Amino acid sequence: MMDGHATELPWLWAGLAAYALATFAAFRSVQVAHARSAGAMAVRGQENAVLTLLVVGVALLTISLAERWIRIGHGPFVNLFELIVSQLFSLGLVYVVAYWRFPVLRPTSVVVLPILWVLGLWVLVLEPTAVPNPPTYFNNWKWAHVGFGKFFLAFCLIGTGFAGIVLLRRVKRLAPYLRVLPDDDVLDNHAWRFMLLALVFESLMLIAGAVWAQDAWGRYWAWDPLETSAFINWLALGMALHIRFTYRVPTLWSSAAIVGLFVFAFFTYFGFPFYSEAAHKGVV
Amino acid sequence: MNTFVKSIKSLGSPKTAIIGMVALGVGSVMSYGNPESVSAWYLAGPLAFLAVSLLVAITTNSRIYRRGGLLVFHVGLLSIAVLAAVGRLTFFEAHVEMLEGNVFGVEDTLNVKKGPLHSDDLHHIEFVQGRYTVEYHPGMVRGLTHSYVRVKGDDGSWQDKVVGDDRPLVIDGYRFYTSFNKGFAPVLTWKGIDGSSMQGAVHMPSYPLFEHKQENDWTTPTGETVRLWLRMDTGLDEKNAWILNEKTPESTLVVFVGDSRIELRPGETAAVGGGDLTYDHLATWMGYKIFYDPTLHALFGASMLSVLGLFIHFRRKFSLQPLRAADPVGGRVPVADDPRPTTGRVV
Ligand code: HEM
Repeated sequence: MMDGHATELPWLWAGLAAYALATFAAFRSVQVAHARSAGAMAVRGQENAVLTLLVVGVALLTISLAERWIRIGHGPFVNLFELIVSQLFSLGLVYVVAYWRFPVLRPTSVVVLPILWVLGLWVLVLEPTAVPNPPTYFNNWKWAHVGFGKFFLAFCLIGTGFAGIVLLRRVKRLAPYLRVLPDDDVLDNHAWRFMLLALVFESLMLIAGAVWAQDAWGRYWAWDPLETSAFINWLALGMALHIRFTYRVPTLWSSAAIVGLFVFAFFTYFGFPFYSEAAHKGVV
Repeated sequence: MNTFVKSIKSLGSPKTAIIGMVALGVGSVMSYGNPESVSAWYLAGPLAFLAVSLLVAITTNSRIYRRGGLLVFHVGLLSIAVLAAVGRLTFFEAHVEMLEGNVFGVEDTLNVKKGPLHSDDLHHIEFVQGRYTVEYHPGMVRGLTHSYVRVKGDDGSWQDKVVGDDRPLVIDGYRFYTSFNKGFAPVLTWKGIDGSSMQGAVHMPSYPLFEHKQENDWTTPTGETVRLWLRMDTGLDEKNAWILNEKTPESTLVVFVGDSRIELRPGETAAVGGGDLTYDHLATWMGYKIFYDPTLHALFGASMLSVLGLFIHFRRKFSLQPLRAADPVGGRVPVADDPRPTTGRVV
């Protein structure tokens, strides 16, 4: 059943359409780069199209979020629908800034944008029901916790973009399209740099979350499902960094590890709220 | 290097750290949901191991102690492990149900859990419970709680404070949080035939969670057990928003003694079990969670310092090899400060 008053939905659909067009342009840019006859200008043209469409997509999602915020009186923090729309917005925003500032990561869009679309498809089947804020959601640490978490997932996503290219190159049919990009070693190094940055923000997310939990539930840590999962994710990331500098890990495995860490983070974000319908429901 | 020094050093090697992290990961999975059956050692063991390993690494491994950011980060991690252990030894947790108008007393605390080195300073705490309001959204969804209390300061003066689920009352490091557990309590006066008189309150189960079970047993001073049932007339419609406070119900106290049943409105008296029982008025009680951990602020400081160290380390890596320099399409780019074992493939 559709909520008749969900006036934010058309903006959401428009934003998703812009992301879809950006995804298409991203594939085109790799294809153009592959065509030997095409010059650097043609590639830049496609990349500019991706950039513009992403900016438009983020802008439309901003309107959708603002519209809903005004309509229901609180931010997108409570149910899965809100969590996903807000991630679509923040992942898009961080990615578009990175895309613009660091041309080296532009080819990662062929991995990153389809992942955003998984979220896009998911949100389309969810109901935009409005649920009131639980009593513990009026705390200001919520902003820090959620904000740091968004950067964590976004940097993890960029790392996954690099790792994804290394993995896609293993597919014979795709390899020629991705040949013009830097070597695996270089991509792998870029990827881990973003994972290190992700660790910085994941640590901040855990700290802000613990302060919030202390205020909200009278304990800073209690191994609830989300806490346990987020901590194991943090530990796994630290461990992966240690393994990487201790052993000679082939780039294939190294990239697979990044994808694994991202999938883990993805389930931490969307898996538990999906089953419990509200983040940290057990203690609300 | 003799074997003793070597084996000490190997304790601080990244390989040992990986083993410790795997063990901590297993401990965390086991601790999921805080099951009573799982020993605290599943976490304490790996943490102690990691702490020793970190201490050795910090002091003996030049790849850590020569790099400021990494050093601060790992020292921060070690401090967190140590502080968490101190916290577990000194913590205190309990619940208390405070009746409107009553003063906090240690003897009223329930479900007490505390670390072996906790110093039991609760005796100094003095505060009086006042009224409260709890907001409910449509569909019985609980919103904000405002619990009004009076706290005695060090100088003996009383101060009014408002406490909530996420706004604890903090006295000497003990933090009192309101909880979903709150309700009503009929205040009763008992007068015996011998002229003795006493006043008290009987806490009814949590409201509105047990709205339909507002009953409790009470034993009169003459030893007779009576059943008290608070019949509420709230006129509430769950579909609307409402506020819970002492004015919420119109109540009737139904007293069951043996086979007889007596209904009392506030101010009314009845002869019950060899005395007179008066239902004075309906009061409220608020359930608090009490939490004490002297390491909270230090833990926060150590964690922030850790992240700062990690960020400095990241900045250093980034400035040695900015991402933008790695732009040339198809080029082999030298990767500076790559900590991986050199293979000859990566410069
Ligand atoms: C418990 C004992 C630990 C030891 C002995 C240890 C040891 C080390 C050493 C020697 C390095 C320097 C590596 C190099 O560049 O050669 C390092 C780096 C690092 N460690 Fe640890 N560590 C420990 C725990 C941890 C933990 C629990 C985490 C986080 C989850 C962590 C995260 C890191 C990170 C992020 C780096 C930087 C990696 C990079 O630059 O790519 N360490 N550690």
